[in-house]
Amino acid sequence: MIPILKKLKYPGSWSLFRSDDRLLLMIFAIIVGICSGLAALFLNRSLEIMLEWLHHYRGNWWAIFLPAVGAALSSLFLEKIVNEGAGHGVPEVIYAVSRYGGLLRLRSSFSRLFSSFLTIGSGGSAGPEAPVVMSGASIGSNIAQVFSLNDRQRVALVGCGAAGAIAAIFNAPISGMVFAIEVILGEWSTMNIIPIAIAAVAGTEVSRLLKGNQIAFAHRIFNIHFHDILACVGLAVFCALASILLTRALRSMHHVAKGVALPLWCRAAIGGSMVGAIGYFLPYVLGEGYHAIRTAIEGGFSGGLLLVTVIALVKILSTALTLGWGGSGGIFAPCLVIGAFVGLSFHRIIAAIWSSVPWVNEGCFALLGMTGLISGILQAPLTGIFLVIEITGGYEVILPLIVVSAISTTLCHYLEPASFYLKDLVEQGQLLRPGTDARVLTDLSIQELLETDCICVHPNMRLADFIGIVKSSHRNYFPVEDQQSRQFVGMIHLDDIRPYLFDPAMHHAVLTGQVMDPHVKTISLHDDLSEVLQKMDDGHIFSMPVVADNRFLGMISKATLLDQYRKELMVQTGRF
Amino acid sequence: MTQKLFHIFRNTPLGRETMLQSIYFCQKMGVLPTTYIPEFTKFLMYFENDVVQVDLDPSYLSDPDTAVTHMEQLLEEGKIKPDLFTPKNYTASTLPDIPTNFEFMCCPRSISDLSSKIGLGYIGPRVRRIIQAARFPVLITSPVFKPWQSIAVFFGGSANAVNALRLSVRVAKMTGMSLNIFTQAGKTTPSGYRSIVQAKGLEKPLKSVLNHWTFFEKGRFEDNLYEVPHDALVVMGAYGHGIIRDIMFGSMMEKIQSTMSNNLLIAGPKYTMIG
Repeated sequence: MIPILKKLKYPGSWSLFRSDDRLLLMIFAIIVGICSGLAALFLNRSLEIMLEWLHHYRGNWWAIFLPAVGAALSSLFLEKIVNEGAGHGVPEVIYAVSRYGGLLRLRSSFSRLFSSFLTIGSGGSAGPEAPVVMSGASIGSNIAQVFSLNDRQRVALVGCGAAGAIAAIFNAPISGMVFAIEVILGEWSTMNIIPIAIAAVAGTEVSRLLKGNQIAFAHRIFNIHFHDILACVGLAVFCALASILLTRALRSMHHVAKGVALPLWCRAAIGGSMVGAIGYFLPYVLGEGYHAIRTAIEGGFSGGLLLVTVIALVKILSTALTLGWGGSGGIFAPCLVIGAFVGLSFHRIIAAIWSSVPWVNEGCFALLGMTGLISGILQAPLTGIFLVIEITGGYEVILPLIVVSAISTTLCHYLEPASFYLKDLVEQGQLLRPGTDARVLTDLSIQELLETDCICVHPNMRLADFIGIVKSSHRNYFPVEDQQSRQFVGMIHLDDIRPYLFDPAMHHAVLTGQVMDPHVKTISLHDDLSEVLQKMDDGHIFSMPVVADNRFLGMISKATLLDQYRKELMVQTGRF
Repeated sequence: MTQKLFHIFRNTPLGRETMLQSIYFCQKMGVLPTTYIPEFTKFLMYFENDVVQVDLDPSYLSDPDTAVTHMEQLLEEGKIKPDLFTPKNYTASTLPDIPTNFEFMCCPRSISDLSSKIGLGYIGPRVRRIIQAARFPVLITSPVFKPWQSIAVFFGGSANAVNALRLSVRVAKMTGMSLNIFTQAGKTTPSGYRSIVQAKGLEKPLKSVLNHWTFFEKGRFEDNLYEVPHDALVVMGAYGHGIIRDIMFGSMMEKIQSTMSNNLLIAGPKYTMIG
């Protein structure tokens, strides 16, 4: 019995899966998709109950403090009970995929669910999508850890978790799949696409079984004309600007809050109370905002240009206050709200300027605005397109969706080279996508590349004796060490002794200390390999000495480095 | 290549004892300590198949202005060049990543609890996670600095015990100290245990370092532990058998750590011998 149980723990070693693990990943993808889907639905349902319960109290004066209480409790829960930092969570998933083969903590599978329930349920302006992505990714990662899967398989399951979560919460399998590949993994490989697609299906099925096959934002049919598609270019510009504004507002608020010398829960409460105060006058900014989106898409929003613009801007401010000051949640839902109202604003502007043109209903522009925001802020055009199509069922708007998405993404990329999720990682040099140069080099270490077969000489050695050593060596480089202290003092290359090789008179006159290079560039064991390669390229060097505490340890050569690089690349991309 | 021991410095009297123990270990073993003075109460250690979040007791952040000076003083007294570790990568702004590519790690019985809660019978959950995930042995120090003068290893004949024995032979060779083996004889006879050692190719390496092999033929294991020298470094494997091998410590380990106040050098289930 025990041997069977032991074997179950290491499915990667079964002969069935050893040569091709796709079937193994598909099986795990189903499990991960179901689990992450359930987690997403749990949060979704909890939020519905909470929002319904608190709805009756929104009219009271003290309701402005509800977001403050929720944010404070959320922060306390994360800091004191689970010992985790607040934030969006998605950058942490991407970081783990980049650097550590998708290793995520088990506590992340539930901590953000509960904390975002407190923040959003009490009225904080945030979305549940990023926390469920974190939760799903952590579920996938920990299932992979339990079954001792390798890095590549674990990364695939992290993607499965993210896909299952998004697919479940939006009833949108393609969006889940595309989001996981485009944003979380950052690479389109057939090894990952299949399990991720299966996980997305599993998550969607869980959602349909428990919630029914509902479209989140049903809408009327839109008759789109050529002039509407042309107008999309302008809308894309608006969306790009709104995306940049939201990104910068979030980061600025975070910096401002950091400078306040108060405990984290106090800061969260301050942010929450400001949101509560705003929400008292403009309830659209509270919570996920799905009700506002439905109204916008149905074309039933009665407010004028000023009101819709104010709502869009205030929603940006509220989201920045909620998340920047320590609340827990994501930016998906706020982006959808902001995008919808940016779309409405744009429609009102063009309808006022070109009043004789039969523009499509404003609900269509709300849809397009949503796509523009999501695509712009995530710089993930496919995610934006498929998400809006699936949550609205509006395939007829695909052409303008593509236009808005593509232009918004491109414009945002010009103004902010890295997306909202990747910005911090890129600035710190932490974004290392699997199979990329930086990632491959990070997985190699100088220690494993060290060549230790060099023969050391001392500076007082005569050239004649040195030539004897050269005869017995197959290296071109010879480190020079002080005879007494054994400290590294320089390097001799064969080229350095060429002028004296064929002049026997010099063999007893020249000492190695006279021909060595005392200023040779060295590297240490802690140096980054990307920096080492850069030094080699800059100096046109093919080998460099590794020195620690003034002691010579060995050589590192470009040839060995590139050989190991190739092997590591094959491991990371699954091509053995 | 110089081997490294990772030490998390606590700027308190208890932390000083732990640091002195690390310094002594490094002096005897010829390894260099790399010291981390934490700025935050938590950090992450990414192992091959696990990520461990270590939540430090707040005393680890005591008096940051003097921490570096105190650490350097202790190292300089031990004639060791201070090597301060600064995290390069962060999972979150207050969650640094600590590397796991060193050969030894030193920590007290618990790094998440108050000093007053640390005592016999208790090894904190974080320390246990580290032991279970790490490829390196973990040195768990006694509460007060006590220079160890010999090495004691518990050998029960299992694969885990053989691993611990290999480690103890390595330590004995590097320190030049004598090695004592202790075996609670069960169904296997003393000659049976010697055959296991021979079959594993350890007879020859053991010859040069073994001082005495004690077989406890009668009495309870916990009672027999009194025979282990008080000033010995106790080396052992930390994992159970069968399906629970990778999940829980074995019963022998639990008995030893709850009975003895010696310094413990523990090899977990993923320990790999280097050199």
